[in-house]
Amino acid sequence: MFRKGRVFLLFLLPGLLLLLIFYVIPLFSGIFYSVTDGSKANAFVGLKNYESLWQNKMFQLGLKNTLELSVISAPILWVASFFLALLLQSISPRGGFFRSSALLPYLAPSSAMLLVWLVLFDYGGPLNRVADALGLQRVMWLESDALRVPIIVMFIWKNLGFCMVIFLAALQTVPQSLYEYATLEGGGFFVKAFRVALPHILPTAFLVFVLAWINTFKIFKEVYIIAGSYPDRSVYTLQHYMNNMFSRLDYQMVTAAAYSFAVIVLVLFAMLFLLQRRAAQ
Amino acid sequence: MKKRHILLRLILTLLALLILLPLVLTAVYSFCAPTEIKAFMQTRNQYGTALMELKLRPNLFSLDQYWRVLIQDTSLLRYYFNSIGYTAATLLGQIVIIPMLAYALSRFEFRGRDVISFAVIVLLLLPFQVTMVPTVLTLRRLGLMDTMWAIILPSLTSPFYVFLLRQSMLGIPGELFEAAQIDGAGPARCYVHIALPVSRAMIGAAVALSFADCWNMVEQPLVFLPNRTDLHPLSVVFNQLSQESTGVEFAGAVLYLLPALLIYLFFQDDIMTGIALSEMK
Repeated sequence: MFRKGRVFLLFLLPGLLLLLIFYVIPLFSGIFYSVTDGSKANAFVGLKNYESLWQNKMFQLGLKNTLELSVISAPILWVASFFLALLLQSISPRGGFFRSSALLPYLAPSSAMLLVWLVLFDYGGPLNRVADALGLQRVMWLESDALRVPIIVMFIWKNLGFCMVIFLAALQTVPQSLYEYATLEGGGFFVKAFRVALPHILPTAFLVFVLAWINTFKIFKEVYIIAGSYPDRSVYTLQHYMNNMFSRLDYQMVTAAAYSFAVIVLVLFAMLFLLQRRAAQ
Repeated sequence: MKKRHILLRLILTLLALLILLPLVLTAVYSFCAPTEIKAFMQTRNQYGTALMELKLRPNLFSLDQYWRVLIQDTSLLRYYFNSIGYTAATLLGQIVIIPMLAYALSRFEFRGRDVISFAVIVLLLLPFQVTMVPTVLTLRRLGLMDTMWAIILPSLTSPFYVFLLRQSMLGIPGELFEAAQIDGAGPARCYVHIALPVSRAMIGAAVALSFADCWNMVEQPLVFLPNRTDLHPLSVVFNQLSQESTGVEFAGAVLYLLPALLIYLFFQDDIMTGIALSEMK
Protein backbone atom coordinates (compact mmCIF):
# COMPACT_ATOMS: atom_id res chain seq x y z
CA MET A 1 0.00 0.00 0.00
CA PHE A 2 1.23 3.43 -0.91
CA ARG A 3 0.16 6.04 1.62
CA LYS A 4 2.19 9.17 0.95
CA GLY A 5 2.18 11.66 -1.89
CA ARG A 6 -0.18 12.65 -4.63
CA VAL A 7 1.05 10.23 -7.28
CA PHE A 8 -2.16 8.26 -6.98
CA LEU A 9 -4.00 11.16 -8.64
CA LEU A 10 -2.04 10.48 -11.80
CA PHE A 11 -3.42 6.97 -11.95
CA LEU A 12 -6.85 7.77 -10.64
CA LEU A 13 -7.90 10.92 -12.48
CA PRO A 14 -8.26 9.87 -16.14
CA GLY A 15 -10.60 7.02 -15.28
CA LEU A 16 -12.34 8.81 -12.45
CA LEU A 17 -13.10 11.87 -14.58
CA LEU A 18 -14.66 9.75 -17.31
CA LEU A 19 -16.71 7.85 -14.72
CA LEU A 20 -17.91 11.11 -13.19
CA ILE A 21 -18.70 12.84 -16.49
CA PHE A 22 -20.48 9.98 -18.23
CA TYR A 23 -22.11 8.15 -15.35
CA VAL A 24 -22.09 9.53 -11.85
CA ILE A 25 -22.83 13.24 -12.28
CA PRO A 26 -25.56 12.84 -14.94
CA LEU A 27 -27.02 9.98 -12.91
CA PHE A 28 -27.81 12.55 -10.23
CA SER A 29 -28.58 15.54 -12.46
CA GLY A 30 -30.95 13.36 -14.49
CA ILE A 31 -33.27 13.15 -11.47
CA PHE A 32 -34.16 16.74 -12.38
CA TYR A 33 -35.67 15.62 -15.70
CA SER A 34 -37.74 12.94 -14.09
CA VAL A 35 -39.50 15.36 -11.73
CA THR A 36 -40.16 18.26 -14.14
CA ASP A 37 -42.64 18.51 -16.99
CA GLY A 38 -40.23 19.23 -19.84
CA SER A 39 -41.98 22.43 -20.88
CA LYS A 40 -40.09 25.69 -21.36
CA ALA A 41 -40.70 26.72 -17.77
CA ASN A 42 -39.66 23.23 -16.57
CA ALA A 43 -42.21 23.24 -13.78
CA PHE A 44 -41.70 20.89 -10.87
CA VAL A 45 -44.29 18.13 -11.03
CA GLY A 46 -43.14 15.82 -8.26
CA LEU A 47 -43.76 12.16 -8.96
CA LYS A 48 -46.30 12.74 -11.73
CA ASN A 49 -43.99 11.42 -14.46
CA TYR A 50 -43.47 8.24 -12.48
CA GLU A 51 -47.22 7.87 -12.06
CA SER A 52 -47.96 8.15 -15.76
CA LEU A 53 -44.99 5.92 -16.55
CA TRP A 54 -46.23 3.13 -14.33
CA GLN A 55 -49.67 3.39 -15.90
CA ASN A 56 -48.23 3.21 -19.40
CA LYS A 57 -49.16 -0.11 -21.02
CA MET A 58 -45.98 -0.37 -23.11
CA PHE A 59 -43.72 0.31 -20.13
CA GLN A 60 -45.55 -2.36 -18.14
CA LEU A 61 -45.19 -4.79 -21.04
CA GLY A 62 -41.50 -4.04 -21.54
CA LEU A 63 -40.71 -4.34 -17.84
CA LYS A 64 -42.72 -7.53 -17.49
CA ASN A 65 -41.03 -9.16 -20.50
CA THR A 66 -37.54 -8.08 -19.46
CA LEU A 67 -38.01 -9.50 -15.96
CA GLU A 68 -39.69 -12.67 -17.24
CA LEU A 69 -36.95 -13.36 -19.77
CA SER A 70 -34.40 -12.90 -16.95
CA VAL A 71 -36.24 -15.14 -14.52
CA ILE A 72 -36.38 -17.87 -17.16
CA SER A 73 -32.89 -17.63 -18.63
CA ALA A 74 -30.66 -16.85 -15.65
CA PRO A 75 -31.51 -20.03 -13.66
CA ILE A 76 -31.28 -22.22 -16.78
CA LEU A 77 -27.90 -20.74 -17.56
CA TRP A 78 -26.70 -21.14 -13.98
CA VAL A 79 -27.81 -24.76 -13.54
CA ALA A 80 -26.63 -25.87 -16.98
CA SER A 81 -23.20 -24.31 -16.60
CA PHE A 82 -22.80 -25.75 -13.09
CA PHE A 83 -23.59 -29.29 -14.23
CA LEU A 84 -21.42 -29.05 -17.33
CA ALA A 85 -18.54 -27.76 -15.21
CA LEU A 86 -18.97 -30.70 -12.81
CA LEU A 87 -19.04 -33.21 -15.65
CA LEU A 88 -16.04 -31.60 -17.25
CA GLN A 89 -14.18 -31.58 -13.93
CA SER A 90 -14.83 -35.29 -13.44
CA ILE A 91 -13.01 -36.17 -16.68
CA SER A 92 -10.22 -33.61 -16.26
CA PRO A 93 -7.50 -33.17 -17.44
CA ARG A 94 -9.33 -34.37 -20.56
CA GLY A 95 -12.17 -32.33 -22.01
CA GLY A 96 -10.15 -29.48 -23.47
CA PHE A 97 -12.01 -29.75 -26.76
CA PHE A 98 -15.36 -29.34 -25.06
CA ARG A 99 -14.14 -26.44 -22.96
CA SER A 100 -12.79 -24.58 -25.97
CA SER A 101 -15.89 -25.18 -28.07
CA ALA A 102 -18.24 -24.11 -25.30
CA LEU A 103 -16.42 -20.83 -24.70
CA LEU A 104 -16.11 -19.91 -28.38
CA PRO A 105 -19.72 -18.64 -28.79
CA TYR A 106 -19.09 -15.98 -26.14
CA LEU A 107 -16.73 -14.26 -28.57
CA ALA A 108 -18.87 -14.89 -31.66
CA PRO A 109 -20.95 -11.77 -32.38
CA SER A 110 -24.63 -12.69 -32.16
CA SER A 111 -25.44 -10.45 -35.08
CA ALA A 112 -23.29 -12.48 -37.45
CA MET A 113 -24.86 -15.71 -36.16
CA LEU A 114 -28.38 -14.48 -36.82
CA LEU A 115 -28.59 -15.84 -40.38
CA VAL A 116 -27.92 -19.41 -39.43
CA TRP A 117 -30.36 -19.25 -36.50
CA LEU A 118 -33.05 -18.00 -38.89
CA VAL A 119 -32.45 -21.08 -41.02
CA LEU A 120 -32.32 -23.51 -38.09
CA PHE A 121 -35.56 -22.21 -36.57
CA ASP A 122 -37.46 -21.74 -39.82
CA TYR A 123 -40.89 -23.36 -40.10
CA GLY A 124 -39.44 -25.73 -42.69
CA GLY A 125 -35.98 -25.74 -41.12
CA PRO A 126 -33.89 -28.49 -39.52
CA LEU A 127 -35.45 -28.18 -36.07
CA ASN A 128 -38.97 -28.66 -37.36
CA ARG A 129 -37.68 -31.45 -39.58
CA VAL A 130 -36.69 -33.27 -36.40
CA ALA A 131 -40.12 -32.52 -34.93
CA ASP A 132 -41.69 -33.98 -38.07
CA ALA A 133 -39.55 -37.09 -37.88
CA LEU A 134 -40.56 -37.61 -34.25
CA GLY A 135 -44.20 -37.23 -35.23
CA LEU A 136 -44.60 -33.96 -33.34
CA GLN A 137 -46.39 -30.82 -34.40
CA ARG A 138 -44.17 -28.26 -36.09
CA VAL A 139 -43.81 -24.94 -34.29
CA MET A 140 -43.68 -21.45 -35.77
CA TRP A 141 -40.54 -20.55 -33.82
CA LEU A 142 -40.08 -17.13 -35.30
CA GLU A 143 -43.58 -15.81 -34.68
CA SER A 144 -45.67 -14.85 -31.67
CA ASP A 145 -45.07 -16.41 -28.25
CA ALA A 146 -42.74 -19.12 -29.54
CA LEU A 147 -40.20 -16.44 -30.47
CA ARG A 148 -39.03 -16.52 -26.88
CA VAL A 149 -37.60 -20.00 -27.41
CA PRO A 150 -35.04 -19.17 -30.12
CA ILE A 151 -34.14 -15.99 -28.26
CA ILE A 152 -33.43 -17.87 -25.05
CA VAL A 153 -31.59 -20.60 -26.96
CA MET A 154 -29.37 -18.01 -28.66
CA PHE A 155 -28.71 -16.38 -25.31
CA ILE A 156 -27.82 -19.64 -23.55
CA TRP A 157 -25.70 -20.78 -26.50
CA LYS A 158 -23.68 -17.60 -26.21
CA ASN A 159 -23.22 -17.39 -22.42
CA LEU A 160 -23.03 -21.04 -21.39
CA GLY A 161 -19.31 -21.48 -21.89
CA PHE A 162 -18.35 -18.32 -20.05
CA CYS A 163 -20.32 -19.25 -16.93
CA MET A 164 -19.03 -22.80 -17.13
CA VAL A 165 -15.40 -21.65 -17.22
CA ILE A 166 -15.88 -19.55 -14.07
CA PHE A 167 -17.40 -22.57 -12.30
CA LEU A 168 -14.63 -24.79 -13.59
CA ALA A 169 -11.94 -22.53 -12.15
CA ALA A 170 -13.63 -22.64 -8.74
CA LEU A 171 -14.22 -26.39 -8.83
CA GLN A 172 -10.48 -26.93 -9.16
CA THR A 173 -10.16 -25.68 -5.56
CA VAL A 174 -12.44 -28.39 -4.14
CA PRO A 175 -10.18 -31.01 -2.52
CA GLN A 176 -10.41 -34.40 -4.23
CA SER A 177 -10.60 -36.08 -0.82
CA LEU A 178 -14.04 -34.56 -0.19
CA TYR A 179 -15.39 -36.31 -3.30
CA GLU A 180 -13.74 -39.56 -2.28
CA TYR A 181 -15.29 -39.32 1.15
CA ALA A 182 -18.71 -38.73 -0.43
CA THR A 183 -18.22 -41.77 -2.65
CA LEU A 184 -17.34 -43.90 0.40
CA GLU A 185 -20.50 -42.70 2.08
CA GLY A 186 -22.40 -43.88 -0.98
CA GLY A 187 -23.21 -40.44 -2.31
CA GLY A 188 -24.17 -40.19 -5.96
CA PHE A 189 -23.65 -37.42 -8.48
CA PHE A 190 -26.24 -35.09 -6.99
CA VAL A 191 -24.97 -35.45 -3.44
CA LYS A 192 -21.50 -34.59 -4.66
CA ALA A 193 -22.85 -31.66 -6.65
CA PHE A 194 -25.02 -30.05 -4.00
CA ARG A 195 -23.55 -31.26 -0.69
CA VAL A 196 -19.85 -31.24 -1.53
CA ALA A 197 -19.05 -28.97 -4.47
CA LEU A 198 -21.66 -26.23 -4.16
CA PRO A 199 -21.05 -25.25 -0.51
CA HIS A 200 -17.33 -25.16 -1.21
CA ILE A 201 -17.65 -22.71 -4.12
CA LEU A 202 -20.60 -20.68 -2.87
CA PRO A 203 -19.10 -17.21 -3.53
CA THR A 204 -18.33 -18.17 -7.12
CA ALA A 205 -21.74 -19.73 -7.58
CA PHE A 206 -23.25 -16.48 -6.38
CA LEU A 207 -21.03 -14.44 -8.68
CA VAL A 208 -22.00 -16.54 -11.70
CA PHE A 209 -25.66 -16.09 -10.85
CA VAL A 210 -25.27 -12.31 -10.63
CA LEU A 211 -23.25 -12.14 -13.87
CA ALA A 212 -25.75 -14.37 -15.65
CA TRP A 213 -28.55 -12.17 -14.37
CA ILE A 214 -26.83 -8.95 -15.51
CA ASN A 215 -26.32 -10.48 -18.92
CA THR A 216 -29.98 -11.42 -19.25
CA PHE A 217 -30.83 -7.73 -19.28
CA LYS A 218 -28.90 -7.51 -22.53
CA ILE A 219 -31.25 -10.01 -24.16
CA PHE A 220 -32.59 -7.05 -26.17
CA LYS A 221 -29.71 -7.70 -28.55
CA GLU A 222 -31.05 -11.10 -29.53
CA VAL A 223 -34.56 -9.72 -29.88
CA TYR A 224 -33.42 -6.79 -31.97
CA ILE A 225 -31.38 -8.76 -34.45
CA ILE A 226 -34.27 -11.19 -35.02
CA ALA A 227 -37.27 -8.92 -34.78
CA GLY A 228 -36.03 -5.32 -35.00
CA SER A 229 -37.38 -2.30 -33.15
CA TYR A 230 -41.03 -3.36 -33.17
CA PRO A 231 -41.11 -7.04 -32.23
CA ASP A 232 -43.99 -9.26 -31.18
CA ARG A 233 -45.61 -8.36 -27.84
CA SER A 234 -44.15 -11.44 -26.17
CA VAL A 235 -40.57 -10.20 -26.59
CA TYR A 236 -41.03 -6.42 -26.42
CA THR A 237 -38.40 -5.46 -23.83
CA LEU A 238 -37.78 -2.43 -21.67
CA GLN A 239 -34.94 -1.39 -24.00
CA HIS A 240 -37.46 -1.20 -26.88
CA TYR A 241 -39.67 1.09 -24.84
CA MET A 242 -36.78 3.33 -23.87
CA ASN A 243 -35.35 3.53 -27.40
CA ASN A 244 -38.79 4.56 -28.52
CA MET A 245 -39.03 7.31 -25.89
CA PHE A 246 -35.52 8.48 -26.79
CA SER A 247 -36.44 8.88 -30.45
CA ARG A 248 -39.40 10.99 -29.35
CA LEU A 249 -37.00 13.02 -27.16
CA ASP A 250 -39.26 12.30 -24.20
CA TYR A 251 -36.57 12.66 -21.53
CA GLN A 252 -39.10 12.74 -18.71
CA MET A 253 -40.27 9.21 -19.43
CA VAL A 254 -36.79 7.91 -20.21
CA THR A 255 -35.28 9.13 -16.97
CA ALA A 256 -38.28 8.01 -14.91
CA ALA A 257 -38.05 4.57 -16.51
CA ALA A 258 -34.30 4.37 -15.89
CA TYR A 259 -34.59 5.24 -12.20
CA SER A 260 -37.53 2.90 -11.69
CA PHE A 261 -35.60 0.07 -13.26
CA ALA A 262 -32.43 0.94 -11.34
CA VAL A 263 -34.31 0.67 -8.05
CA ILE A 264 -35.84 -2.68 -9.04
CA VAL A 265 -32.48 -4.10 -10.11
CA LEU A 266 -30.56 -2.86 -7.06
CA VAL A 267 -33.22 -4.13 -4.64
CA LEU A 268 -33.10 -7.46 -6.42
CA PHE A 269 -29.33 -7.74 -6.14
CA ALA A 270 -29.38 -6.56 -2.53
CA MET A 271 -31.82 -9.36 -1.74
CA LEU A 272 -29.66 -11.90 -3.56
CA PHE A 273 -26.64 -10.66 -1.64
CA LEU A 274 -28.37 -10.99 1.72
CA LEU A 275 -29.54 -14.46 0.74
CA GLN A 276 -26.00 -15.45 -0.11
CA ARG A 277 -24.76 -14.07 3.22
CA ARG A 278 -27.29 -16.15 5.08
CA ALA A 279 -26.45 -19.26 3.05
CA ALA A 280 -22.76 -18.78 3.75
CA GLN A 281 -23.30 -18.82 7.51
CA MET B 1 -15.45 -46.31 -13.66
CA LYS B 2 -13.36 -46.19 -16.82
CA LYS B 3 -16.36 -47.07 -18.96
CA ARG B 4 -18.44 -44.23 -17.54
CA HIS B 5 -15.68 -41.83 -18.43
CA ILE B 6 -15.64 -42.92 -22.04
CA LEU B 7 -19.41 -42.55 -22.28
CA LEU B 8 -19.26 -39.12 -20.65
CA ARG B 9 -16.52 -37.99 -22.99
CA LEU B 10 -18.55 -39.17 -25.95
CA ILE B 11 -21.60 -37.22 -24.77
CA LEU B 12 -19.58 -34.07 -24.15
CA THR B 13 -17.92 -34.34 -27.55
CA LEU B 14 -21.31 -34.63 -29.23
CA LEU B 15 -22.53 -31.64 -27.25
CA ALA B 16 -19.44 -29.67 -28.31
CA LEU B 17 -20.17 -30.48 -31.95
CA LEU B 18 -23.76 -29.34 -31.45
CA ILE B 19 -22.51 -26.05 -29.99
CA LEU B 20 -20.14 -25.60 -32.92
CA LEU B 21 -22.82 -26.47 -35.49
CA PRO B 22 -24.15 -22.92 -36.06
CA LEU B 23 -20.61 -21.66 -36.61
CA VAL B 24 -19.72 -24.49 -38.97
CA LEU B 25 -22.92 -24.06 -40.99
CA THR B 26 -22.25 -20.33 -41.36
CA ALA B 27 -18.81 -21.12 -42.72
CA VAL B 28 -20.14 -23.82 -45.07
CA TYR B 29 -22.86 -21.54 -46.46
CA SER B 30 -20.33 -18.82 -47.15
CA PHE B 31 -18.81 -21.07 -49.82
CA CYS B 32 -22.06 -21.40 -51.74
CA ALA B 33 -22.60 -19.37 -54.89
CA PRO B 34 -24.69 -16.22 -54.23
CA THR B 35 -27.51 -17.45 -56.46
CA GLU B 36 -27.62 -20.71 -54.53
CA ILE B 37 -27.89 -18.88 -51.20
CA LYS B 38 -30.49 -16.51 -52.57
CA ALA B 39 -32.65 -19.40 -53.74
CA PHE B 40 -32.08 -21.22 -50.45
CA MET B 41 -32.98 -18.23 -48.29
CA GLN B 42 -36.13 -17.65 -50.33
CA THR B 43 -37.49 -21.02 -49.23
CA ARG B 44 -37.73 -19.62 -45.68
CA ASN B 45 -41.04 -18.52 -44.16
CA GLN B 46 -43.18 -20.96 -46.13
CA TYR B 47 -45.91 -22.25 -43.94
CA GLY B 48 -47.12 -25.17 -46.02
CA THR B 49 -45.96 -28.73 -45.58
CA ALA B 50 -42.81 -28.01 -47.57
CA LEU B 51 -39.49 -28.33 -45.79
CA MET B 52 -36.35 -26.35 -46.49
CA GLU B 53 -33.56 -28.24 -48.13
CA LEU B 54 -31.23 -29.72 -45.52
CA LYS B 55 -28.12 -28.05 -46.83
CA LEU B 56 -24.90 -29.44 -45.43
CA ARG B 57 -22.51 -28.56 -48.24
CA PRO B 58 -22.45 -26.20 -51.22
CA ASN B 59 -23.66 -27.62 -54.54
CA LEU B 60 -20.64 -26.04 -56.09
CA PHE B 61 -17.76 -24.71 -54.04
CA SER B 62 -17.44 -21.02 -54.79
CA LEU B 63 -15.65 -17.98 -53.43
CA ASP B 64 -18.02 -15.68 -55.28
CA GLN B 65 -19.63 -14.35 -52.06
CA TYR B 66 -16.25 -13.22 -50.77
CA TRP B 67 -15.36 -11.73 -54.14
CA ARG B 68 -18.54 -9.66 -54.13
CA VAL B 69 -18.31 -8.48 -50.52
CA LEU B 70 -14.63 -7.64 -50.61
CA ILE B 71 -14.10 -6.34 -54.12
CA GLN B 72 -17.19 -5.85 -56.23
CA ASP B 73 -19.55 -4.00 -53.92
CA THR B 74 -17.81 -2.53 -50.92
CA SER B 75 -20.86 -1.03 -49.20
CA LEU B 76 -20.64 -3.65 -46.43
CA LEU B 77 -16.95 -3.03 -45.97
CA ARG B 78 -17.61 0.54 -44.86
CA TYR B 79 -19.59 -0.72 -41.87
CA TYR B 80 -16.89 -3.29 -41.29
CA PHE B 81 -14.31 -0.53 -41.01
CA ASN B 82 -16.59 1.35 -38.61
CA SER B 83 -16.59 -1.73 -36.38
CA ILE B 84 -12.82 -1.98 -36.56
CA GLY B 85 -12.43 1.71 -35.72
CA TYR B 86 -14.71 1.60 -32.68
CA THR B 87 -13.20 -1.59 -31.35
CA ALA B 88 -9.60 -0.51 -31.84
CA ALA B 89 -10.14 2.92 -30.29
CA THR B 90 -12.09 1.52 -27.34
CA LEU B 91 -9.57 -1.22 -26.59
CA LEU B 92 -6.61 1.14 -26.87
CA GLY B 93 -8.21 3.63 -24.51
CA GLN B 94 -9.30 0.96 -22.08
CA ILE B 95 -5.90 -0.67 -21.92
CA VAL B 96 -4.36 2.66 -20.85
CA ILE B 97 -7.06 3.89 -18.49
CA ILE B 98 -8.54 0.82 -16.80
CA PRO B 99 -5.37 -0.78 -15.37
CA MET B 100 -4.32 2.64 -14.04
CA LEU B 101 -7.65 3.15 -12.34
CA ALA B 102 -7.54 -0.37 -10.96
CA TYR B 103 -4.01 0.26 -9.65
CA ALA B 104 -5.08 3.45 -7.89
CA LEU B 105 -8.06 1.69 -6.34
CA SER B 106 -6.11 -1.34 -5.16
CA ARG B 107 -2.60 -0.28 -4.11
CA PHE B 108 -3.04 3.22 -2.72
CA GLU B 109 -4.64 4.43 0.44
CA PHE B 110 -6.52 7.70 0.14
CA ARG B 111 -9.77 9.21 1.25
CA GLY B 112 -12.75 8.28 -0.91
CA ARG B 113 -11.16 5.12 -2.28
CA ASP B 114 -13.80 2.82 -0.88
CA VAL B 115 -16.59 5.09 -2.07
CA ILE B 116 -15.23 4.98 -5.62
CA SER B 117 -14.79 1.21 -5.48
CA PHE B 118 -18.36 0.85 -4.26
CA ALA B 119 -19.63 3.14 -7.03
CA VAL B 120 -17.85 0.96 -9.60
CA ILE B 121 -19.64 -2.11 -8.28
CA VAL B 122 -23.03 -0.37 -8.33
CA LEU B 123 -22.41 0.78 -11.92
CA LEU B 124 -21.41 -2.76 -12.79
CA LEU B 125 -24.73 -4.07 -11.50
CA LEU B 126 -26.83 -1.46 -13.30
CA PRO B 127 -28.01 -2.66 -16.70
CA PHE B 128 -27.38 -0.72 -19.90
CA GLN B 129 -31.02 0.41 -19.93
CA VAL B 130 -30.20 2.50 -16.86
CA THR B 131 -26.64 3.70 -17.51
CA MET B 132 -27.36 4.76 -21.08
CA VAL B 133 -29.64 7.52 -19.83
CA PRO B 134 -27.03 9.56 -17.91
CA THR B 135 -24.60 8.92 -20.75
CA VAL B 136 -27.01 10.41 -23.28
CA LEU B 137 -27.56 13.44 -21.05
CA THR B 138 -23.80 14.12 -21.00
CA LEU B 139 -23.35 13.40 -24.69
CA ARG B 140 -26.07 15.92 -25.54
CA ARG B 141 -24.60 18.51 -23.22
CA LEU B 142 -21.18 18.08 -24.87
CA GLY B 143 -22.66 17.99 -28.37
CA LEU B 144 -21.23 14.52 -28.98
CA MET B 145 -24.44 12.73 -29.95
CA ASP B 146 -24.28 11.29 -33.46
CA THR B 147 -20.49 11.36 -33.47
CA MET B 148 -18.01 8.48 -33.15
CA TRP B 149 -16.99 9.74 -29.71
CA ALA B 150 -20.45 8.87 -28.42
CA ILE B 151 -19.58 5.19 -28.84
CA ILE B 152 -15.99 5.33 -27.68
CA LEU B 153 -15.79 7.67 -24.67
CA PRO B 154 -18.43 6.14 -22.37
CA SER B 155 -17.00 2.63 -22.77
CA LEU B 156 -13.45 3.64 -21.81
CA THR B 157 -14.18 3.03 -18.11
CA SER B 158 -16.33 -0.07 -18.44
CA PRO B 159 -16.96 -0.92 -14.75
CA PHE B 160 -16.79 -4.69 -15.21
CA TYR B 161 -13.16 -4.58 -16.33
CA VAL B 162 -12.22 -2.04 -13.64
CA PHE B 163 -13.66 -4.51 -11.14
CA LEU B 164 -11.85 -7.53 -12.63
CA LEU B 165 -8.48 -5.80 -12.73
CA ARG B 166 -8.88 -4.33 -9.27
CA GLN B 167 -9.61 -7.81 -7.92
CA SER B 168 -6.52 -9.22 -9.58
CA MET B 169 -4.29 -6.36 -8.39
CA LEU B 170 -5.61 -6.71 -4.84
CA GLY B 171 -4.41 -10.30 -5.00
CA ILE B 172 -0.77 -9.39 -5.67
CA PRO B 173 1.28 -10.10 -2.52
CA GLY B 174 2.34 -6.90 -0.73
CA GLU B 175 5.91 -8.20 -0.28
CA LEU B 176 6.55 -7.72 -3.99
CA PHE B 177 5.85 -4.02 -3.68
CA GLU B 178 7.73 -3.66 -0.39
CA ALA B 179 10.82 -5.29 -1.86
CA ALA B 180 10.69 -2.94 -4.83
CA GLN B 181 10.25 0.06 -2.56
CA ILE B 182 13.30 -0.90 -0.53
CA ASP B 183 15.21 -0.96 -3.83
CA GLY B 184 14.04 2.61 -4.34
CA ALA B 185 11.20 2.12 -6.80
CA GLY B 186 8.29 4.57 -6.60
CA PRO B 187 4.62 3.90 -7.35
CA ALA B 188 5.06 4.50 -11.09
CA ARG B 189 7.89 1.99 -11.43
CA CYS B 190 6.02 -0.52 -9.32
CA TYR B 191 3.10 -0.14 -11.72
CA VAL B 192 5.17 -0.81 -14.81
CA HIS B 193 7.38 -3.52 -13.36
CA ILE B 194 5.06 -5.32 -10.94
CA ALA B 195 1.36 -4.53 -11.22
CA LEU B 196 1.14 -4.75 -15.02
CA PRO B 197 3.28 -7.87 -15.59
CA VAL B 198 1.69 -9.79 -12.72
CA SER B 199 -1.83 -9.00 -14.00
CA ARG B 200 -0.92 -9.90 -17.56
CA ALA B 201 -3.29 -12.86 -17.83
CA MET B 202 -6.18 -10.86 -16.41
CA ILE B 203 -5.49 -7.98 -18.78
CA GLY B 204 -5.47 -10.45 -21.65
CA ALA B 205 -8.78 -11.90 -20.49
CA ALA B 206 -10.26 -8.42 -20.14
CA VAL B 207 -9.07 -7.44 -23.63
CA ALA B 208 -10.71 -10.53 -25.11
CA LEU B 209 -13.99 -10.04 -23.24
CA SER B 210 -14.06 -6.34 -24.01
CA PHE B 211 -13.39 -7.09 -27.65
CA ALA B 212 -16.43 -9.36 -27.63
CA ASP B 213 -18.54 -6.54 -26.15
CA CYS B 214 -17.41 -3.94 -28.68
CA TRP B 215 -17.51 -6.17 -31.72
CA ASN B 216 -21.01 -7.28 -30.80
CA MET B 217 -22.53 -3.94 -29.83
CA VAL B 218 -26.10 -3.28 -30.86
CA GLU B 219 -27.66 -1.06 -28.21
CA GLN B 220 -25.10 1.76 -28.22
CA PRO B 221 -25.29 2.73 -31.91
CA LEU B 222 -29.08 2.66 -31.82
CA VAL B 223 -29.20 5.05 -28.88
CA PHE B 224 -26.09 7.19 -29.39
CA LEU B 225 -26.11 7.45 -33.20
CA PRO B 226 -29.83 7.66 -34.04
CA ASN B 227 -29.43 9.96 -37.08
CA ARG B 228 -26.13 8.75 -38.46
CA THR B 229 -26.72 5.21 -39.69
CA ASP B 230 -23.66 5.65 -41.89
CA LEU B 231 -21.55 5.57 -38.72
CA HIS B 232 -23.12 2.32 -37.51
CA PRO B 233 -20.92 -0.73 -37.02
CA LEU B 234 -21.62 -3.86 -39.02
CA SER B 235 -23.13 -5.61 -35.98
CA VAL B 236 -26.25 -3.41 -36.23
CA VAL B 237 -26.55 -3.74 -39.97
CA PHE B 238 -26.87 -7.53 -40.07
CA ASN B 239 -30.55 -7.66 -39.30
CA GLN B 240 -31.30 -5.55 -42.37
CA LEU B 241 -29.19 -7.97 -44.42
CA SER B 242 -31.29 -10.89 -43.34
CA GLN B 243 -34.57 -9.35 -44.39
CA GLU B 244 -33.84 -9.62 -48.08
CA SER B 245 -31.20 -12.05 -49.17
CA THR B 246 -28.54 -10.60 -51.39
CA GLY B 247 -26.75 -13.92 -51.53
CA VAL B 248 -23.56 -12.61 -49.94
CA GLU B 249 -24.65 -12.39 -46.31
CA PHE B 250 -22.92 -15.55 -45.14
CA ALA B 251 -19.55 -14.37 -46.40
CA GLY B 252 -20.22 -11.14 -44.53
CA ALA B 253 -20.97 -13.13 -41.39
CA VAL B 254 -17.78 -15.18 -41.72
CA LEU B 255 -15.70 -12.06 -42.26
CA TYR B 256 -17.25 -10.67 -39.08
CA LEU B 257 -16.64 -13.88 -37.13
CA LEU B 258 -13.05 -14.22 -38.22
CA PRO B 259 -11.46 -11.50 -36.05
CA ALA B 260 -13.43 -12.80 -33.06
CA LEU B 261 -12.08 -16.28 -33.75
CA LEU B 262 -8.51 -15.01 -33.99
CA ILE B 263 -8.85 -13.04 -30.75
CA TYR B 264 -10.27 -16.14 -29.10
CA LEU B 265 -7.43 -18.37 -30.24
CA PHE B 266 -4.87 -15.81 -29.19
CA PHE B 267 -6.33 -15.05 -25.74
CA GLN B 268 -7.95 -18.38 -24.88
CA ASP B 269 -5.36 -19.33 -22.27
CA ASP B 270 -5.50 -15.85 -20.75
CA ILE B 271 -9.27 -16.12 -20.35
CA MET B 272 -8.91 -19.45 -18.55
CA THR B 273 -6.05 -18.39 -16.27
CA GLY B 274 -7.44 -14.89 -15.79
CA ILE B 275 -10.70 -16.28 -14.52
CA ALA B 276 -8.96 -18.85 -12.36
CA LEU B 277 -6.67 -16.20 -10.83
CA SER B 278 -9.43 -13.84 -9.91
CA GLU B 279 -10.52 -15.62 -6.69
CA MET B 280 -13.62 -13.48 -6.63
CA LYS B 281 -15.11 -12.28 -3.41
